[in-house]
Amino acid sequence: MTDPHAPDSLDFTRRDFLSTGLKLGAAVLVAPHVARAQATSGQAALNVALIGCGEQGRVLLNAALKIPDIRFQAVCDIWPYNRTYAERLLKKFGHAAQPFEDYRELLSAVPDLDAVIVATPDFVHAEHTNAALRAGKHVYCEKLMANTVANARSMVQAARETKKLLQIGHQRRSNPRYQHAREKVLNDAKLLGRITNVNSQWNRSVSADLGWPEKYALPEAALHKYGFANMHEFRNWRWFKKYAGGPISDLGAHQIDVFNWFLGVNPSSVIAGGGADYYENHEWYDNVMTIYEFPTPQGMVRAFYQVLTTTSAGGGYMEYFMGTEGSLKMSENPAYTKLFREARAPEWDQWVQRGFIRKPGTPDEGAEKLLPWEKSRPKFGAPARTSVVDVRETAALSSWDMPVTLDKAIHQPHLENFFDTIRGKAQLNCPAESAFASAVTVLKVNEAVAARSMLTFKPEDFIA
Amino acid sequence: MIRRILPLTLLLIVPAALSAQDLVPLPLELPKPLFVGTPVPFKVPNLEKPSTTKRPPFLAPAGTVNLAKGKPVTASDTFPVIGEIAFVTDGDKEGTEGTFVEFGPELQWVQIDLGESAALSAIVCWHFHAQARVYHDVIVQVSDDAEFKTGVQTLFNNDIDNTAKLGVGQDPSYIETSEGRLIDAKGVRARYVRLYSSGNTTSDLNHYVEVEVFGKK
Repeated sequence: MTDPHAPDSLDFTRRDFLSTGLKLGAAVLVAPHVARAQATSGQAALNVALIGCGEQGRVLLNAALKIPDIRFQAVCDIWPYNRTYAERLLKKFGHAAQPFEDYRELLSAVPDLDAVIVATPDFVHAEHTNAALRAGKHVYCEKLMANTVANARSMVQAARETKKLLQIGHQRRSNPRYQHAREKVLNDAKLLGRITNVNSQWNRSVSADLGWPEKYALPEAALHKYGFANMHEFRNWRWFKKYAGGPISDLGAHQIDVFNWFLGVNPSSVIAGGGADYYENHEWYDNVMTIYEFPTPQGMVRAFYQVLTTTSAGGGYMEYFMGTEGSLKMSENPAYTKLFREARAPEWDQWVQRGFIRKPGTPDEGAEKLLPWEKSRPKFGAPARTSVVDVRETAALSSWDMPVTLDKAIHQPHLENFFDTIRGKAQLNCPAESAFASAVTVLKVNEAVAARSMLTFKPEDFIA
Repeated sequence: MIRRILPLTLLLIVPAALSAQDLVPLPLELPKPLFVGTPVPFKVPNLEKPSTTKRPPFLAPAGTVNLAKGKPVTASDTFPVIGEIAFVTDGDKEGTEGTFVEFGPELQWVQIDLGESAALSAIVCWHFHAQARVYHDVIVQVSDDAEFKTGVQTLFNNDIDNTAKLGVGQDPSYIETSEGRLIDAKGVRARYVRLYSSGNTTSDLNHYVEVEVFGKK
C-alpha cells in the first residue's frame, strides 16, 4: 500500500533503497521459490511458517497478512489455545496452515517453506532459529535475539554457515519515520549539531499476571517437555530469568538498538541500577535505570535509559536525542515525535523547503511544494501565516515536525523488508550481526545491575 | 462548583421519558483495567477525545438489571477465530485470554435474544480492553424482529461513510477501555439487540469480551 501522505522525500528514500537493493540483488541467483506459482500481484508467493503463536506471534501474523504474495503454510505452538488461534485466524484469510506442536515436526513435514517467523519466548529463540536456518529456511526472529550472548552468537554463526537470511525484529529500523530521522535529519542536515546526550524510556503502568482459561491449561508433562516449570511461568515467562532477559530486553531492546543505529557506534561503558521493588513474584527487576557512554567520532554521547513497569509517567515510550543545535524526540507513536531548535542554531526554514522537516500545524502532505517556475522563497520573505516567536526574547525552543508518516501496522515494513530481501529486492534492515551488537549492549545492563558498578565494553565484544 | 455541575451532568444523561425520582445508578460492575503488548498508534477520523475522568453514573429506573446475562447469542461468523460466541453474555468481563471471542474480518455482527421484549435503558459493550484500540463501524440496533428487517431502531452508529450500508452514522469513534461503551437506549422496547463492527485499529478482526443490556421486563 502506498502512503498517500508521504512527501517526495520519502519516495526519494525508497527509490534509493530499492535501487541499492536491486543492484545487490542482481548478483544473487534466483531462488527456487521464484519458480513457483505466480500470485495475484505477479510475483511468486513465499511460503512461510510461524513458530510461536502467542501475543507477539499474532501481531506479526496480522501485519504479514497485509503483505501480498505471502502464503502461510504452517503454524507451531506448544499450547493448543495459541495454535488453534493462529490456525483459525489464517483460515479466515484463506491460508490453510497446518498446525504443529513441535517445531521439528513442522520443519521436516513442510518441505517447501521459504521462511520461518520465530516469535517464541527468548530462551528458545536460538534453538528455533538455528534449526530453521539449518533446515534451509530464511528466518525472521523477534527481538531480543536471545537472552544470552552465547545464544545470540550461535544464531549469527548459524546464519553465516547456512548462508540464509536472519532478520531480527527491531522493527524501528524499517519504520520510514525513523529512517527519515536518521538519514535526513541527523546525518544529512545535521540539525541537532553535535549530539551530546540521549534520554530515553519505556514506562508502563502496573499490570496483573497473565492468566489462562483453566480448561486450556497445559498438562505438567507437556510444560516440562518444553522447558517450562508450570503454567504460571509459561504464561508469564518474561518475569523469569530462565526464559527472558528482563525488562531491559523486553522493552529497552527496541530503543537501545536505536541508540546504536542512530549514533553509528557501539557503547564503551554502562552503569545501571535496578531491582524487584514492587512485584513480589517477579524474578527479574521491575525497574532499571542505566547510563551508557557512546564514543562517537564527534565526541562522547552519554545516554540514559529507563524501564519502569509500575508507572506510565512521561508519556510511555520515546527516544530523545539532544544536541548543541537541536533535539529530536522520537517515538514509535507519532504523537510523541517532535523536533526542537535551539535558539542559537541557524534557522531551519531551508529544511522545511527541502522537505526534511515540517512546521507545526502544516498538513500531513509535508512541506508546501515549489512550482517549477518558482524561485526558492527567502527565509523571511512572505509574511508568516502564524505569529513567529522571537527566539531572542524567549527561552522556549521552537518545535517542528517530521513530514513522514507510516500508515501501516508498525511491524509490517520490517516484515516487508525481510520478504523483499528474500526476493533479492532489498537488504536486511536488521541483519543478525547488527542485532547481535544490540543484544550485547542490552544484556550488559543485567551484568551491571548485578555488579552494581560501571562495566566496560571492548570493541570485539560486539563481533559474533 | 463541582457539586453544581455533577447533578446537571447526571440529568443530561437521564432517559428523557423518565422522572428523576424513579432513577437510580445503573448496577454496572467494571472489570480491572488491563494493558498488554505494545500500544499501536492510530489515526481515526471522528475520534472522540478520550476522557480523563471516570464516566459519571448512568441513571436508570429502579429495578433495571442486565437482561443479557446468559442469554443466547448468534453471530454472522459462526466459526470464531478463538473463544465461543456464548462469551458475549457469559458475565466474564476480565478481557484476558479465554474471556473474549474473536470473529473474522469485514463487517460482522452478534445478536442477543433477550427472550422477550423489554424496556431498555442502556447497552454496555466491551469489544476488547486489553489494549487501546478503536473498532470501526460500530452500529448498535434493536428490534423485535430476529431478522432485523422490520422495526429496527439504531441506538448508536459511528459508520461515518456508510461502509456497512446501514446508514451514515453521526456518533464518534472511541477508544476501548475497561469502562466499556455505554449506549443510552432511551427506554426503547425490543427483544433483540444486534451489534456490528468492522475490524479495528490493530487488526481486521472483531472481538467481544461482553455485552450487557440493561432494562426492565
